[in-house]
Amino acid sequence: MSYKLGIDVGGTFTDAVLIRDNEVQNKGKIPTDKENLLETIIRATDLLDISNREIEQITISTTLVTNAILQNHLPNVNLVLFPGSGMKLSSLPWPVDYKVLSGELDFRGREVSPPNKKEWLQLVEQLKSSPEQGIAISGKFSHRNNIHEAQLASYLEKELPQANIALGSQLGQTNFYRRSLTTYLNLASQRLFLEFASQLRSAMAARSCKAPVRVLKADGGVLPLDKIRPVESIYSGPAASVLGALAQSNSEDSYVVVDIGGTTTDIGLVLSGSPLISAHGARIGSFLTNVRSLAVRSVPIGGDSAVVMENGQISLASYRLGPAYCIGGSNPTPTDALRYLNLTDYGSYAKAEKAIAGLLPENKRQPQDIRETAEKIVSIMVDRISRAIEELQQEWKDEPAYKIWEVLHQNDDLEFYIQLSGGGSSGISKALSERMNAKTVLMDFSEVSNAIGAAMAKPTFSWTLNLDTYLGRYRIEETGEQGKWNGSKKPHKEVEQFLKDLAYRQAETMGIEVNSLQQEQFDYFPLVESYHTVGQIVRGGMHVTPGVVGRIVK
Amino acid sequence: MKKTGIIFFPAFDWSLGESHPEREERLLYTQEQIFEEGIMDLPQVKQYSPGVAGLFEVMLTQAVFPHPHRHKLDAHLIAVGSSMVLSKALMNKEISNGFAMVRPPGHHSGATVWGNRGFCTLNNEAILVNNLRSQYGIKKVAIIDTDVHHGDGTQDVFYHDPNVLCISIHQDGRTIFPGTGFTDEQGGPNAWKTTVNIPLIPGVGDEGFLYALENWILPRVNEFKPDIIINSAGQDNHFTDPIGSMNCTARGYGKITDMIKPDLAVLEGGYSIEGALPYINMAIFLALAGEDYSGVIEPHKPTRSEIGGETFRTYLAKLKQQHDNIQPDWIIRRESFLPTGDWVYLEKNVFYDTDWFQENRKEYIRKCDSCGGTILMLSQNLTTFEKATLVRIPFQACDSCEQAGYDLVEQFKKGEKNLLLQNQLRNQVHMWSQGEEVKLFES
Repeated sequence: MSYKLGIDVGGTFTDAVLIRDNEVQNKGKIPTDKENLLETIIRATDLLDISNREIEQITISTTLVTNAILQNHLPNVNLVLFPGSGMKLSSLPWPVDYKVLSGELDFRGREVSPPNKKEWLQLVEQLKSSPEQGIAISGKFSHRNNIHEAQLASYLEKELPQANIALGSQLGQTNFYRRSLTTYLNLASQRLFLEFASQLRSAMAARSCKAPVRVLKADGGVLPLDKIRPVESIYSGPAASVLGALAQSNSEDSYVVVDIGGTTTDIGLVLSGSPLISAHGARIGSFLTNVRSLAVRSVPIGGDSAVVMENGQISLASYRLGPAYCIGGSNPTPTDALRYLNLTDYGSYAKAEKAIAGLLPENKRQPQDIRETAEKIVSIMVDRISRAIEELQQEWKDEPAYKIWEVLHQNDDLEFYIQLSGGGSSGISKALSERMNAKTVLMDFSEVSNAIGAAMAKPTFSWTLNLDTYLGRYRIEETGEQGKWNGSKKPHKEVEQFLKDLAYRQAETMGIEVNSLQQEQFDYFPLVESYHTVGQIVRGGMHVTPGVVGRIVK
Repeated sequence: MKKTGIIFFPAFDWSLGESHPEREERLLYTQEQIFEEGIMDLPQVKQYSPGVAGLFEVMLTQAVFPHPHRHKLDAHLIAVGSSMVLSKALMNKEISNGFAMVRPPGHHSGATVWGNRGFCTLNNEAILVNNLRSQYGIKKVAIIDTDVHHGDGTQDVFYHDPNVLCISIHQDGRTIFPGTGFTDEQGGPNAWKTTVNIPLIPGVGDEGFLYALENWILPRVNEFKPDIIINSAGQDNHFTDPIGSMNCTARGYGKITDMIKPDLAVLEGGYSIEGALPYINMAIFLALAGEDYSGVIEPHKPTRSEIGGETFRTYLAKLKQQHDNIQPDWIIRRESFLPTGDWVYLEKNVFYDTDWFQENRKEYIRKCDSCGGTILMLSQNLTTFEKATLVRIPFQACDSCEQAGYDLVEQFKKGEKNLLLQNQLRNQVHMWSQGEEVKLFES
């Protein structure tokens, strides 16, 4: 019988679980070494004693790329843009430098003006000085037609054979700004990720483990280590929290996921068993991306957040000054407040009392004062979490809709409960329940819930077709594939079969069961010239939504 | 930061016919353009999700006859409701201006509605405006209609309302639907000069529109001192529009928006769905958001010859002169069913081009020096011969006009097949059918 191994690298702790037949066989938790994530992962693996066990798969949720972006550790990449006309580039904040070339396409991918080859000569001269840097090329409407990007790429490949080139059209989703920045980040994080992957493979080989390694993505899906675009691995932590909750609840339930970590609380939303996916791509630092992600909120508050007293006002800092006082740390934290109020039994009561009392002036340390202070700390924490929950629920209600059917079938009267996990979650359960006027449920494997989420994640799949029968072109958003359409101008059944064939082919290469693909309703836009229908634009897609392969049994 | 709100509701599953100008494709390229440009990522932009208007809001402003349930209103209620999401956000100070890019349009839909005309069934701006007045205490509103067609529906709804200034600048009605919008239409007996029509000869472009704005429209608006300005932002004055014959550019629309500075812009017509809409929608929105729209350039160049310069200035000066010289010419009628007071009589036929029938409407307006005056409209569908009656007690009605309204209801509710009371003063709507009150909506 084979095992699934799940590892979640968090900001403070790294969790690992070994699962067989939906049962947790072994689990572990170690502090995260931020300077060496690979080492952390390997130590977490070793904790579970995988030798002599048949491991079916290893799934890792890692902050490798997230941290590198947020801490500005990525190498620079050249960003070359074909912005055409329209809104000024300067209207949006660009966190990186770019070079601008002429050449314009319109919204259907038709060429409005060709590129200027003289500019390309100059570009090559500029790029020669730093041949080791990658080149990201991104054009407005290149997701409709990659012609300019491809022309420039093949020109540069000849002139600068060493260059590592990436095209925006390969990330074929709107919009130009996000696609450009995502292409940039993906190219910039490539080397870091490849190194990580190769070291991880060697480390596993050294342990005679041949199991395939999968990486968790922001949208809650997984991809093999060698197939994932590095940038897609950002924000897998909150996704792991949501999947962990899915693996520990009934399949049709609606609930809010609240995962309380050391310094961060992740919040997600599950609607009738399906996690809410963000209508926009993920934002990371000053980069807006088109990386598909679950709709989540991260509140910079956790069990280890430093409690600060200034001018008689208590607040919770977004940083941590070590572990809670009650377990031997040196600073008061929410964990101490919960311990003092006997809402948890984690750590020493006497130390917790001392931690909270230490916040007060010596003449105001009556039991009543200490109690009020502890209650205040808990209520600040509960309030911040509650507001983030309300914000997320609002985001769900504010989801845009572009069709009458969608507007008239909005289902916004679901009843939610709250699934709690993470350290201290039992302590705030009651207060959160009262504040949100909702039932709270503690997860059975609260402390390793994220690792469970990673281990149980199933691959997601998304395949969106945009077909213009009049221009005879089709594009696939997710892979950036573009090609010719030779079929009918007004296809119906034909286009559904066409999409299916393409999607099945892709699903098979990804090892996804084709029967699990769900087809979304097609949109047909008749194209009219002088009151005659001359073709159609067809939009349609096939998906496997985020989810888990089974439910954990106790 | 000043926020600009946007509702984008393209109604991708709604059309008036496969090759009809008002079809699924109409905002498809606008979506491609504005999304790809990333305008939703501008830090000052807030996108809202669509809403659905209630029948109460509709019926307080428009009498949908013979009964609202006889019409397919879903798409229209969403267009109205979505526009109202923005007006509410404006009132709650979440945004400082906004653009409702919605389908279907509404400005040809008037005070009484028997069907669809000029692609419109419900009037998005009119319903929104009266909602602002009834719910948020807004007193005076200016609506500036920059669609190539006369905003006849909006004019009709507010023709007797002294607190709503309706200005429509459009292609001369002798050359285009709906065939109205001349200088002699300047408002009813209690609202004279609060309707302004500026019919233009075909061929006028950015220069002419901006000149008319600066020299006629904006001075009139400033004199009126509105609490709020709405722009009915039709886009068919563009040089590529297949229905209109004007010469405006996308950047010209940006400048028009900059000059009007509307609190809310609501999309109306515009049927050059590839050559104009993606660019004009961008330019208008960027202007509202305070961004540079000078880079918004259509791929095509104008080919129609433009009327501008001295020719246009002379034309406009004459038109203004003609407009200023017109005097009202009212006929007072006495009828046994009319309560006390002087009642001005007006009569017109309204043509519903989409469904191809006519409505006949007889109006009686109670002359009043202290309010907009209670109105009686006797309406008949000339194809089905169904009749219906509307009694409207206006916002801020005086005591005697209010009483006159109740007296009319007593008179008409027994005999008439359908009678609607729009009590704007008390924010109430009632409907009777042969003496029995009809329940229109959940209370």
